[in-house]
Amino acid sequence: MKQAYQKLDVPKKNSVEMPSKVLLVDDEKEFVLTLSERLQIRDMGTAVVYDGKSALDLVHNDAPEVMIIDLKMPAIDGMEVLKQVKQTWPEIEVIVLTGHGSEQDKKKCMDLGAFTYMQKPVDINLLSKFLKKAIEKIRTNQ
Amino acid sequence: MRRLQKFKPAFWDHRDVAGSHPHTGFNFARKWKLIVLFTSFMALLPLFIMTIVDFNLTRRTIEDEVKNSMSKILTSAAAYISFCKGMNQHDLDFIARFESGENNDMFVVNQDGILLTSSFYYGKSGTSSQFNSSMFKGKAGIEENITPDGRSIITGYTRVPNSSLVLVLVKSKKMLANLWLKPRLKLIGYLIVSIILILLSIMGMATYLVGRIHSADQKRIKALHHAGYTNKLASIGRLASGVAHEINNPLAIINQKTGLIVDLFTLREEFSSDKRLVPLTNDVLDAVKRCGNITRRLLDFARHMEPSIETVNIEKVIEQVLAFHRKEAKHRCITISVDNPDSIPGFKCDRGSLQQIFLNLVSNAFAAMENNGRLDIGINFKKKNVIITVADNGCGISDDDINNVFEPFYSSKDKHWGTGLGLSITYGLVKEIGGDIMVKSSLGKGTLFTLTLPITAEADNGK
Repeated sequence: MKQAYQKLDVPKKNSVEMPSKVLLVDDEKEFVLTLSERLQIRDMGTAVVYDGKSALDLVHNDAPEVMIIDLKMPAIDGMEVLKQVKQTWPEIEVIVLTGHGSEQDKKKCMDLGAFTYMQKPVDINLLSKFLKKAIEKIRTNQ
Repeated sequence: MRRLQKFKPAFWDHRDVAGSHPHTGFNFARKWKLIVLFTSFMALLPLFIMTIVDFNLTRRTIEDEVKNSMSKILTSAAAYISFCKGMNQHDLDFIARFESGENNDMFVVNQDGILLTSSFYYGKSGTSSQFNSSMFKGKAGIEENITPDGRSIITGYTRVPNSSLVLVLVKSKKMLANLWLKPRLKLIGYLIVSIILILLSIMGMATYLVGRIHSADQKRIKALHHAGYTNKLASIGRLASGVAHEINNPLAIINQKTGLIVDLFTLREEFSSDKRLVPLTNDVLDAVKRCGNITRRLLDFARHMEPSIETVNIEKVIEQVLAFHRKEAKHRCITISVDNPDSIPGFKCDRGSLQQIFLNLVSNAFAAMENNGRLDIGINFKKKNVIITVADNGCGISDDDINNVFEPFYSSKDKHWGTGLGLSITYGLVKEIGGDIMVKSSLGKGTLFTLTLPITAEADNGK
């Protein structure tokens, strides 16, 4: 499966480095497409998939730097994707963004190695901030 | 009557208030009566039988004894008469009088039934008694019969050896009865005392046991209702969290779409001419943020419906509960003030129970208050106890009701208002987490609930 991380061609507003490969996984198409567009506006390269299986396929072919995943998805749910990604590609940072979720889910995700756990609806600036932090962490680890 | 009232057990007037199902309720007074009747019957029946047997046995023994002594007297007197042959009338009289013994009547008749000595029952000597030789069948005997004037007597006789004379000894049955009176009274006395003892102990035991069943039954009903209430709360919690979760998704879509519109407005030149567009979309974003806060609060609240012991911050719990009432307070112009002069350390407790306790107390206060009311909550820390006061200036509770407010099914509100369970469940919850709750109230002025919660040793500071 080939899918390029698309980047909107807009002039850079600032010099802070943004992740160029962000993979968005969510079965809410309207939500995830809009979010992707907005992240592209904010100078990020994004790809979108709607279920866990395609997410794992895409990660296999072309690993992203950061993933944003929903927990509740058909077939392979977010928790499973998080587990497999962190097992195979520990360098990928995963942000969990979900409308469902409890304190236990949060704890489980953090134990599995998620970068952060956020609840929908989320403020885009807050999300951008965490994406920035994630990429900084990746850069320092390299 | 008043004094009797004091001994009446609690179950006697029990009416099954919760008896929606006819088979779950008991008629305790009827149970008690049944038990007492049956047990008394079973215990007293053998007693009566034994007493009757014993009564008869004793009577027979005494009768035998009397008859024995009679025949002894007769034999010795007859022997005496036969020994002294050729006695005159005077001698016979003497023997009859002095050998007879006390309260007996002894006389001599010849074979034709003519009295040779005078008799108390049958007349002077020389007259005819009703006896004749045919009545004296054997050599000697003892019979029971009736005198001509209708008195019951025991008659003993013996033929004087070597003569045709018959010696007769008559003993009044009344004398026998007198002899028999003492043991009889003793026996009846024992019987009455044991009947009273048995009845008292049966009644005591029955009262105790039925009382225990009654209190256990009350506990069971309370537990059932508590379970039902907790269940209901849990379902409400699940429903609320389900709704919150489902709403979060479309909310996220609105949020992103509107955010994109804002992005586009800022990026593209053609929209910059209309200054109203960006503020408008920002209003939408603000509304979304508010919705998000509401769902988050619902989720947070519902999460703690499940029992779990954790370190809680009492101020935050109260704030969270009050958050649900802020809107109503605003509408009804009710002033809410929270006074917490001391810093309360976090302590280990079941957060859900605390939430329910305060939710019940605050809801009650709101129900009691008119518009423009005032709700004061005080949080104090004294001697390892957190003391929380919830005071309202509502309608108050009358002196008659105040002792019963924590009783289940006791409601001063109109029937359709509630189950009368709120405060009893609150009380149960407070007791469960080791606390204590007290109420003070004056009618028309308001009610004050004082809640004392112990801070256990494992509590850690801060948080």
